[in-house]
Amino acid sequence: MLASEKRFVDKLKNYLLFAGPTTLVFITVIILPFLFGIYLTFTNWDGISKAYTFVSFSNYKQVIQDPAFWTSFLRTVKYVFYTVLLVNTIGFSLAYALTGGKVLGENLLRTGFFVPNLIGGIILGLVWRFIFSNVLVFLGRTLNIGFLSTSWLANPNKALWTLVIVTVWQYSGYMMIIFIAGLSNIPKELLEAATIDGATGFQRLRTIVLPLMVPAFIVTVFLTIQRGFMVYDVNIALTNGGPFKSTQLISMFVYEKAFLSQQYGVGQSEAFFLFLLVAAISLTQVYFTKKLEVEV
Amino acid sequence: MSRVKLSLSVLVLALVLSLSSAVLAADVHVTVLNSKGEIQAQLEEIAAYYSSITEGVTVEIAAVPVGQSPFERATALYASGNAPTLLMVDAGDVLLFQDRALALNGEKWVADAIENSLGMATADDGRILAFPVTVEGYGFIYNRAVVEKALGRAFDPKTVNSIDALRQLFDDIEASGQASIVIGPEDWSLGAHFFALAYATQSPDFAEIKKFQEGLKKGEIKLADNAQVNGLLDTFDLMKEYNYDKIDPLASTYDRGTELIGTGEVAVWFQGNWTWPQIKDFTDNREFGFLPVPISSNPADYGNTQVPVGVTKYFIMDAEQNSPEQQQAAKDFLNWLGYDPEGQKRMVIDASIIPAFKNITIVPEDPLAASLLEYVREGKTLNFVLNLPPDHWAQVGASMQKYLADFVDRAGLLGEIEAYWLGK
Repeated sequence: MLASEKRFVDKLKNYLLFAGPTTLVFITVIILPFLFGIYLTFTNWDGISKAYTFVSFSNYKQVIQDPAFWTSFLRTVKYVFYTVLLVNTIGFSLAYALTGGKVLGENLLRTGFFVPNLIGGIILGLVWRFIFSNVLVFLGRTLNIGFLSTSWLANPNKALWTLVIVTVWQYSGYMMIIFIAGLSNIPKELLEAATIDGATGFQRLRTIVLPLMVPAFIVTVFLTIQRGFMVYDVNIALTNGGPFKSTQLISMFVYEKAFLSQQYGVGQSEAFFLFLLVAAISLTQVYFTKKLEVEV
Repeated sequence: MSRVKLSLSVLVLALVLSLSSAVLAADVHVTVLNSKGEIQAQLEEIAAYYSSITEGVTVEIAAVPVGQSPFERATALYASGNAPTLLMVDAGDVLLFQDRALALNGEKWVADAIENSLGMATADDGRILAFPVTVEGYGFIYNRAVVEKALGRAFDPKTVNSIDALRQLFDDIEASGQASIVIGPEDWSLGAHFFALAYATQSPDFAEIKKFQEGLKKGEIKLADNAQVNGLLDTFDLMKEYNYDKIDPLASTYDRGTELIGTGEVAVWFQGNWTWPQIKDFTDNREFGFLPVPISSNPADYGNTQVPVGVTKYFIMDAEQNSPEQQQAAKDFLNWLGYDPEGQKRMVIDASIIPAFKNITIVPEDPLAASLLEYVREGKTLNFVLNLPPDHWAQVGASMQKYLADFVDRAGLLGEIEAYWLGK
C-alpha cells in the first residue's frame, strides 16, 4: 500500500517535471476556452457588450432549425468527400510511382510535389484566384475553349470545384510523404516471394501493398477529413464564400454568424455542434478502418 | 558577500524599474484602428507627422484586414485585452460599444458637428460616444470628359432625372462606340449601397424609413407592390443591359472598376466618393461627378434628383484598456484634426475626407467630394441608410448578386429579401 502510494507520488513528480508546463498551457489555452465557449452557447452575447442573458437551449434550437446551416454543412460534406477521395488517390499514386526507383529524379519530384504544402492557405488562395479568374479565362478566350472562357470563380456550379482542385493540389504532396513512409516499411521479401510465385504488379498491389498500407490510410484519411471540415483560409482567400454564398463552407458560415451577424452565442453553438459532428465522423472512420488492418 | 549581492541586485532592480517607468511616462502611445483601407497610407503619414510635432506622443495606425469587418476586428482586440485607443467603426455599430466607449460630451467639437451627425453616436442616456470621421455619399460616378466626347456636346448632369433619361444617356453614349457602365458585383456595394436606396427613397423622413423596416421585420410589407423598390430594380435591369462585364458579371472586381472609370474605358460606375484615391491614380482628368440613381419616370419623384449622403464612420475612444494619458492624447489628436489648420488640411486634402464639422472651411480638391457637397448645398440629399442589421450587406448583397447573374428573377430576389428581414 505504502509502496504503491510512494510510486504514485514519484510518478506524479516525474509527470509534473516533464509534462507539467505543457499540461498547464494545454489547460489554459485549450480546455478552459473550450469550456467557456460551451458556457457562452447558453447566452445571447453579441461579442462585445458586457451584459448578456442566459437563454438555455434556444441557440441550439435555432441552429438545428436553420436551413442555411444545413445547406452549408452538406456542401462541406460534399467538399470533404471529393477532397478525401482525390487527395488520397493522387497522394497514393504519386507515392507508389516515386518509390522503388521506377522514375528518374525521384527525390526532386518528391520535393516538387510536397512544396505546395509549404505555402500558406491565404497566399495559395490568392495565387489560384489569379489563375482561375485571369490566366484560365485568358487562355479560354484566346484558344476558344468554351468552359474556360468565363471565370469559374463567378459560377456557383463550378466555384466549389475550384476549392476542391486547390485543396487536392495542396495536400496530395503531404499525404504522399506519409504514403512513402508506409511503402518503405513493407518487407521486401514479401514482394519478392510474390514475384517468384508469379504475381503480376497489379496482384502484388492489391493483395500485399494495399492491405499493408491500411495504417497509413487511417492517418491520411483522418487528416484529410479533419482538415476538410475545418478549412477556412483557402475558402476565404479563393472564393470568399462567393458567388452569393454558394461556396461558403461550414467554418466560414460559423465565423460569419458569430462575428458578422453579431450572434456570438448562436455561432458558438454551431461551432460546438460542428465539433461533435466532426468528432463522431472521424472516430467512426478510425474505428472501421482499424478493422481492416492486417498482421504480417 | 551575499549581503553585497542582495543589495546590488536590489539596486539594479530599482534602477530598472525607475528607468522603465520614466520611459513609459515620456512616451504615450495612441493606437488607432483604421477601417477605411483606401486611406491607410494617408493616415499613416498624418500619424507620423503628428508624432513628430508633439512631444512624447506617438500615434500608430493599425488596419482592419481586408475582408474583415471593423466590428469583428474590434471584438478580437477587446477579447485579447489589446484595444486600440481610437477605433474607427461603422455608424451602425457605434452603440454596440456603449459599455466600452468613453463619453465625449465635454469635447469642443461636439458643438461644431454638422446637423444629424451625432444621432447614431448618442446613447439613450445622452452620452456622446463617438467622433464623426467622415461624410460619404454615392451614386453613379460619371467621367465628364468621356461622356461629353461620346455625346459630342456639353453634358448637364441635371438632365438625368428619370429612368428614361438615364436610358437615353446610355443609348447616346453607346451609339458613339463608348461603353456606358460597369456594375461592381461586390456584395457590400449591392447590398449596403444599391439596395439601401430602396429604403432611403421611401421618405425624406428617417422615422418613416424606420417604420418601413419595422414593417419588413413583421412581414407586413410586400416589396413587389412597392413602387420605389420596383423602380430601383428597373434601373438595375437597365444597368445590367448595358453592363460592360455582362458576359461574366460576377467576375468583375472593385479594382477593375476603378481602372475602367479612371482610364475612361467606361463612362459611368455605381460607387461612392471613397473611390477617389484609387481613381485618381489612373488619370490626370479631374472632372468627375455624381448622378442620382433614378427610381421612376417622373423627375419630380423623391430620389430621382437626390443622392444619399451621411456620416459613415466614427471614432470611438476606448474607456477600459487605455490609460487616462492615452485617452487625453487621443482627445488632443482629434482636436488637432478638427481645429489645427495643418490637421484640417491633411485630413481634407490629403486623405480626401469630407469632414462632418461646420468649422472646417477647406474645400476638398477631390471632384467627387465637391460634387457631393454641391448636392448637400442644394438640399438634394437622401438619407444614407446606416441602421441596417449587421449582416444586411452580406445577405442582401448575395441575393443581389444572384439577380445580377440571372440566377433568380425579381420575384425570387424580393422573396429572399423579405425572408431575410422577417423576424430580425
